[in-house]
Amino acid sequence: MKTIIRLAGIMILLWAAGTAGSPQESQADHAVVNFSDPAKPGTVEVNISEGSITVRGFEGKDVIIDARWREKVLTKEEQEGEADLAEAEEELDQEEMARKKAQAEKAKGMKMLEVESMGLTIEEEENVIQVNAEEGKRAVDLLIQVPFSTSLRLSCHDDERGVTVEGVSGEIEVETSDGPIVLTNVSGPVVADSSDGEIKAVFGKVTPGKPMSFSAMDGDIDITLPLDVKASLKMKTDEGQIFTDFDVRLTPSQQKKEEDERKEGGGYRVAFEKVTLGLINGGGVEIQLTTYEGNIYVRKAK
Amino acid sequence: MNCEKIRERTADYLAGELDEESLAGMRAHLAECPHCREELEGLSVIWTKLGVLPNEEPSAALRSRFYGMLEAYKKGLKKEGEGQGAKRALSIWLGRLMPRKPAFQLGLALILMAAGLGSGFLLSVRPRSAARAEMASLRGEMDGMRRIVAISLLKQASPSDRLMGVSWSVRIDRPGDEIIAALLQTLNHDPNVNVRLAAADALYLFYDHPEVKKGLIDSLAGQTSPLVQVSLISLLVEIRERRAVEALERLIQNEKLNPKVKKLAELGLVQLS
Repeated sequence: MKTIIRLAGIMILLWAAGTAGSPQESQADHAVVNFSDPAKPGTVEVNISEGSITVRGFEGKDVIIDARWREKVLTKEEQEGEADLAEAEEELDQEEMARKKAQAEKAKGMKMLEVESMGLTIEEEENVIQVNAEEGKRAVDLLIQVPFSTSLRLSCHDDERGVTVEGVSGEIEVETSDGPIVLTNVSGPVVADSSDGEIKAVFGKVTPGKPMSFSAMDGDIDITLPLDVKASLKMKTDEGQIFTDFDVRLTPSQQKKEEDERKEGGGYRVAFEKVTLGLINGGGVEIQLTTYEGNIYVRKAK
Repeated sequence: MNCEKIRERTADYLAGELDEESLAGMRAHLAECPHCREELEGLSVIWTKLGVLPNEEPSAALRSRFYGMLEAYKKGLKKEGEGQGAKRALSIWLGRLMPRKPAFQLGLALILMAAGLGSGFLLSVRPRSAARAEMASLRGEMDGMRRIVAISLLKQASPSDRLMGVSWSVRIDRPGDEIIAALLQTLNHDPNVNVRLAAADALYLFYDHPEVKKGLIDSLAGQTSPLVQVSLISLLVEIRERRAVEALERLIQNEKLNPKVKKLAELGLVQLS
């Protein structure tokens, strides 16, 4: 079964030529999509390049999607691009200039209609709902409500607001390039990566036997685990520090490499990987925390 | 003949008790199977050492002394009559069995000890070799099982499952080409950064495998995540892989490269050259 809903294919906005800079009401889209097999936990997959994603678990069987299109804001790169274009225009030859002038003459006394295309595509196939925003000029803020046990695959780039998930117990795979990742009251295995943002995850409980991994280049990784969690932490930070209020039993790193080249006239050395292994309550589910510049915080749930 | 059958017959082979047919089968197998050959070599060394040990035989003097003591004991028993307690009689008997001179006592003790060790060795050699063979085959089976589990987990849709696949592959003693190839495939093509990071760490543990160093170097050019780049650079510097210099130089020339990664790559170049 396949459902395709196309929303807001084309929207036309009227812009008075003289008031181009005035704020505009943003447009909202709303859709309700059902899983082909509601008895089984489904998966929601969201992929947007600009914008934010918020997912909330709720008591229901369907998935409710609200999309709010943001006012177009030129990024620095785009501004530079337009400046380049203006510069190039100065070099246009006489003929081209004359044509432009004639066109401007024709439009005299009229308003320009700005045509803006926005597209959100939602597809359902075999219990997987895919939400994709067309790569356009405007950013979109998505609010998605899903049944509690839904699994999520979320990807969000080039935006400061990032991804927020609340009260979802399925497996969560999430990646952002700029924005933060904030997960609250989750329990499924989480695999999260952010290049520039930070990661914060608060677990209501932890699914045993399912490895988890969090990685961030610049940001901190801050996870809160239940008091009685049995976990084996593998922590690595190149320039940051590690903090915890758990009783973590540190075990020697297994990633030891020994080289003995003395017989061949070389040297001897032992190298240890910069991984810190820590066991909470005797060890259990594997949790890997990797950050280059950020700190790592492992908190006890209050 | 398979490895298991060979192990069953190893003892007979060493003792020279195999019939012609089994002997031929065994030789044919040994010619093909380096593993069994190695094991047999180890065992035959022990076997030969055991053969060198002299058999313990009581000396003629011990014999005559023993009978002398027995006679004296009998006489003494008659002399002392029925009033003697059985306990006392025994202790006298045992005392007389012992040579009088301390040097002889020491000698006897040493001989008895050697005999004990020798027989213990002889008795234990079979169960020990069997246990070793069992351990070896068990380890082989475990490795095989882990390989299957790791490979199938690495192909799962769930990143958590793929992470588990990486963990399984680390537990394999002898990963073999298949596992190395699967880990390199994961490092280069897995859609998830975290899984790629885990694969890089796992490959580091197998860096003495010939394909791994080359694989890590080649992978550097294709990685887009700064964290994976950082991880690979650290690993290559860690294992002092000089062949990585060229790859690092190319990476630094990439204009889109994260400035922190660039700094680390430059530092790595200094450390490697």
